[in-house]
Amino acid sequence: MEQQEAITVDDIRDLVRPHQVHRRAYADPEVFQLEMERIFGRMWIYLAHESQLRKPGAFFRTRLAGTEVLVTRHTDGEVYVLHNRCPHRGARMCMVDRGNSRLLNCPYHAWSFRPDGTLSTVPHKQSYPESFDMEAPENQMQRVRNVESYRGFIFATLNETPVPLTEQLGEMTDIIDNLLARAPEGEVEISESYFTLEYKGNWKLHLENAADIFHPTFVHSSSVGAAKRAPQNASRLDSDQTRTMLEANGFGIDQWEGIRLNGLPNGHSYMSNFYSKGVLVDQTEDPVMTEYKKRMVAAYGEEKAADILSVDRFNNIIYPNMILNAQHQQMRITIPLAHDRTLIRVQCFRLKGAPDEMFERAIRFLSTLASPASMIFSDDVEMLERCQAGLDRDDTPWLDFSRGLDIDRTDETGSVSGVASEMPMRVQFKAWVEMMTQEVA
Amino acid sequence: MDDATLQNKVEKFLFTEARLLDSGDFSAWLELYAPDGIYWMPSQPGQTDAKTVASIIYEDHPILSIRVQRLFEARALVLTPMPETVHMLSNIEVEDAGEDGLVRAEATFICIQYQANEQKIFSGRQRFDLLPEGDSFRIRLKRVDLLNAGGTLPLITIPF
Repeated sequence: MEQQEAITVDDIRDLVRPHQVHRRAYADPEVFQLEMERIFGRMWIYLAHESQLRKPGAFFRTRLAGTEVLVTRHTDGEVYVLHNRCPHRGARMCMVDRGNSRLLNCPYHAWSFRPDGTLSTVPHKQSYPESFDMEAPENQMQRVRNVESYRGFIFATLNETPVPLTEQLGEMTDIIDNLLARAPEGEVEISESYFTLEYKGNWKLHLENAADIFHPTFVHSSSVGAAKRAPQNASRLDSDQTRTMLEANGFGIDQWEGIRLNGLPNGHSYMSNFYSKGVLVDQTEDPVMTEYKKRMVAAYGEEKAADILSVDRFNNIIYPNMILNAQHQQMRITIPLAHDRTLIRVQCFRLKGAPDEMFERAIRFLSTLASPASMIFSDDVEMLERCQAGLDRDDTPWLDFSRGLDIDRTDETGSVSGVASEMPMRVQFKAWVEMMTQEVA
Repeated sequence: MDDATLQNKVEKFLFTEARLLDSGDFSAWLELYAPDGIYWMPSQPGQTDAKTVASIIYEDHPILSIRVQRLFEARALVLTPMPETVHMLSNIEVEDAGEDGLVRAEATFICIQYQANEQKIFSGRQRFDLLPEGDSFRIRLKRVDLLNAGGTLPLITIPF
C-alpha cells in the first residue's frame, strides 16, 4: 500500500478558503485524528455538571477526546477526571454511565481505587514485590490534571499548559451566567434523564446545522405543515407547546432577514431567538410564567429580573462541543467518535426556586426537539448523515460557505449578520484552522 | 366472557394494530386510540413519571395526529424512502377488566424496520390499557418499553 505523507500545517490551511471548505475536513480520518489531538485534546472540553456529582463517590462516564473518562466526586469534595482504565492490566473499569461508589473496583484482580484515582487496596499484597509502591502514579487510575468548573459546568483538558478556561469561553460565559440567573435561587440542576443519539456523520456538521437558519424551512417542512393544519390548544398534555414548537420552524423571509447572527472569537456564535410565539417564553396570561416572574422579581428586583429575562439568544454555540439555550433551559453536547460517527447528548436544566411546571416544560421541550423520535431533530440528523454519505462517497473537493459574505459586518460584539448568513460556520472554521495549525501546545 | 374468549379478542386487536402499522395505514391506526388515549415510550427503564423525566414519546391523541400527518408528508426527510416494518407480538398476557373497566394486556415485541438497504431491529415490551367498546377495544394507554431505553438510540420513525 502506498505510504501517505503525514498531514502538515500547510495542508490544513489549504482546506479552508474564505468561502469554501475542502471535503477532507469531514471525510479524512487523518484530519479527525488531528482534531482529537489539537482541538479535543488541547481545548477545555465540557464533561459534566456538578449537580450530577452531589455526594462523594458519585461518578459520570463520558469522553474526553478519544479517551473514555469518569468524572468523580472525591470524599474531600473535589472533582476528578480519571481514565476509565485499570492501571494493572488495562481493563475498562466502569461499565455504566453513572452511579455512586466509594471505591472503584477492577473486577479482574480486585485492585480498588478511591474516587480521586488513588489505589486503596490490592488483595494478597504480600505477593507483590517490595518495590511495589501503592502511592506510585503508575499504580493509580490515570488522572486528567487540568479540571475546572465554571459555575458548576465542569470542563477538563488534556493540555498541560492550557489558556485559562474563561479566556477560551470568552463572552460565552454570559450565557452560562444568564442560565443561572434565570433561577430565582441563582442555581441550576441538570436533568437526570437525557437522550444520547448517534449519527453517522462528522461532529462539525452538527455545530454547523445549529448555526444554520436557512435550513429549517426546507428540512422541517413536514412537521411545520402537519402542525399548521392541526387545531390549536387541542392537547391536554402541554398547553400547545409541541405544536407551536413544530410550527415555529416554518421560517420565511422574515426569519431569514430578522434573525440576528453573532460570531465571536474561538468559534463561538449565537443567534436571536425565533421561538417567539409561546413555547416557554413570555405568555402574558400564563399563570406559570406569572408566578415565575413574581419569584424572579422577589429575588432580583423588578429591573434586574427584567434584564435577565430579556436575554433571548438561541443556539449559543460554545465551540467546540456545547450548545446552550438558556431561555429554554436546554443543552446539547457533541461527542466525536470517528470522522463519520458522532454522539449527541441532550439534557435540560431545572431552575432552582422556579415553579415545578418550568422544569416540566423544559422536559417537554427536550422530548419534542431532541428525542430519537423527534419530529424535528430526526430530520436534521437525517440531513447530517446524507451530507456525510455524500462527502465520503464522492471526492469532489469543495463545499460552499459563501452565503452572506458580502453583507456581514463587524461591530464591537464581533461579526454580525441578519440575512441567514453562513458567517457562524466561517467563524467556526476560522477557529478550527487556528487550533489545528498550532504545532506546539 | 371466559378467559379464552377475552384472550382471543385482545390478541386479534393487538394484531390488527400491528398490521395497520405494517401496512402504513396510520389513520386507521390512530382510530384505535380513545380520544383521551396516550402513547408513551419512556426514555428510562422502569420510568414511572412522564412529567419530570424525558420520554421518547409521550403524546395524546391531538399530538399523535400531528405525528400521523407527518408520516404522510412526502417531504419528511427521515421518511424518504418510507421505512417498511414488520411488527411481531408474542407472549401476550391479558388481565380481565378491573373496577375501572379497563382490560390490561402485556406483550413482548420485535419490530424490524427496513429503509434504504438497511435493516434495524427494535424490541421490548408493550403494555396496554384497553377500553372495551362494542365488540372490540380502544387504547387508553399504550406504553412501549424499549429493551435499549436509556442507551444510545437510533432514530425512531414508525411507532411500535
